[in-house]
Amino acid sequence: MSGGRRRAVVAGVATSDYPHLPHLSEHAVHGQAADRALADAGLTLADVDGLATAGFFPMYATGVAEYLGLHPVYLDETNTGGSSFEVLVEHAAYAVEAGAAETVLVTYGSVQLSQMGRRLGTGGGGGGFAPGPAIHDALWGNTLVGNYALAARRHMHEYGTTPEQLAAVAVTMRQHAATNPQAQERDPITVEDVVSSRLVADPLHKLDCCVISDGGAACVVTTAERAADLRRDPVYVLGAAHATTHHMNLSAMPDLTVTPAAQSGPLAFARAGITPDDVDVAQLYDSFTITVVLTVEDLGFCAKGEGGAFVEDDGLAVGGRLPTNTDGGGLSACHPGMRGMFLIVEAVRQLRGQAGATQVPDARVAVAHGTGGMLSTGATLVLGREVP
Amino acid sequence: MSAPSAAAGGEGRFFPDEMPVPAASAETMGWWEAAASHRLVVQRCQECGCTRHPPGPRCPGCRSAAWEWLTLAGTGTVYTYTIVHQAFIPALAGTVPYVVAVVELDGADGARLVSNVVDAEPTEVSVGARVGVVWEDMGPELALPRFRLASAGAGR
Repeated sequence: MSGGRRRAVVAGVATSDYPHLPHLSEHAVHGQAADRALADAGLTLADVDGLATAGFFPMYATGVAEYLGLHPVYLDETNTGGSSFEVLVEHAAYAVEAGAAETVLVTYGSVQLSQMGRRLGTGGGGGGFAPGPAIHDALWGNTLVGNYALAARRHMHEYGTTPEQLAAVAVTMRQHAATNPQAQERDPITVEDVVSSRLVADPLHKLDCCVISDGGAACVVTTAERAADLRRDPVYVLGAAHATTHHMNLSAMPDLTVTPAAQSGPLAFARAGITPDDVDVAQLYDSFTITVVLTVEDLGFCAKGEGGAFVEDDGLAVGGRLPTNTDGGGLSACHPGMRGMFLIVEAVRQLRGQAGATQVPDARVAVAHGTGGMLSTGATLVLGREVP
Repeated sequence: MSAPSAAAGGEGRFFPDEMPVPAASAETMGWWEAAASHRLVVQRCQECGCTRHPPGPRCPGCRSAAWEWLTLAGTGTVYTYTIVHQAFIPALAGTVPYVVAVVELDGADGARLVSNVVDAEPTEVSVGARVGVVWEDMGPELALPRFRLASAGAGR
């Protein structure tokens, strides 16, 4: 990423099985993804001296290290919500370029879907609210989906964005998912299906919301020099940046139509020495349809307010304005609590030409952008087949 | 569609008893105390004058730690809103659909509050609608500001 001698690359990627893993623990999902990513690179756990992961408990990474039998000298569990894994790979790139580690394993694992089933009947579901800023939502009955709905309504008010335009995002993701045998939802849907599905938090319908899955993913970050001897052509980390505008309460978000991507995107592109026009394929966090509309604007793929028109008419399909979430995304393929790692895996597969039916021809530059919290954090990772 | 109304939980009540309760901190205690006496306040920076919510120890504009409570009239404008059809707190299962709104508060220099619009059909609510505070006493020490549409005669 820097101009120094050592250059960070992604040498291996993998997903675990998904979307339903009732027979696996959360750690076992990490392990499956880690084993596969290392095998993809032509490495083993014995080659790993750094570990980066994030979960929902403090000292999370040390637990994963113990499970994997690792004693890493570089450890990172930065948690920015769904964008954590773009941040962790950014940090890992700095670490290998600085010589703080040679080979960093970045993993994620979750059994959110199966755990929901296990919790049924306990009468729970209202617990778990943090005593901090989240209480300013809970007391008024606000919900996670509600926060994104508040942003969607404001975007509609300011720019005339329509429910049908939001629905177009879900329709394209489902088209991509139909080509992914692992995807949680694969049956084709129409705009009419989305806007006539049950309202969860108006204006967001059930089909505007991501699926809830079990699953994990991993990647291996090392130097170009090390990767030269390995199994796969390396994918270069060209540039990265992250940003935050507020914690968990939208009262503190300056403008509900502008996400932290407006900061992280231009900075990451400048660090990579590219512009949005250079991007061949994008993997954009799609917790909800509105998340994608806001992100394409804030990353500069279109002007603020034009995201609705940008995503319409197959704008996000292969062959469209910006081929996006070519595995089917969180809306249809897999959303296991945090999805950031999946974005990176699919971006790397595109750059290697391994994306199958949704391969973007000759993809050379890919962007993975994670969004975390209540539109609270954004992290942009620019990956490329060669050093520009 | 029905809206949370005073009739649902008795006079002046809109949400059920089984709602979460806040854990006050050094900065938020004053906000809850003001609310308990039905005063709507936000923090104002004593250095640069900018306002903020939720309460915190430093001004996000100039980083000053000097602040005071600014008492507001309790009127405002709906900046955005959602109609919640699927509640995640089990106690609210019988309250849906209800309106969660971000209210831009008058006299607060753009400070906003995530709250509710009550006593209205959700379909009557719109971005830009004028609203006024209505206090719901949730317990002896806890009152929450919610809002009514000004067209319904609330808020002064």
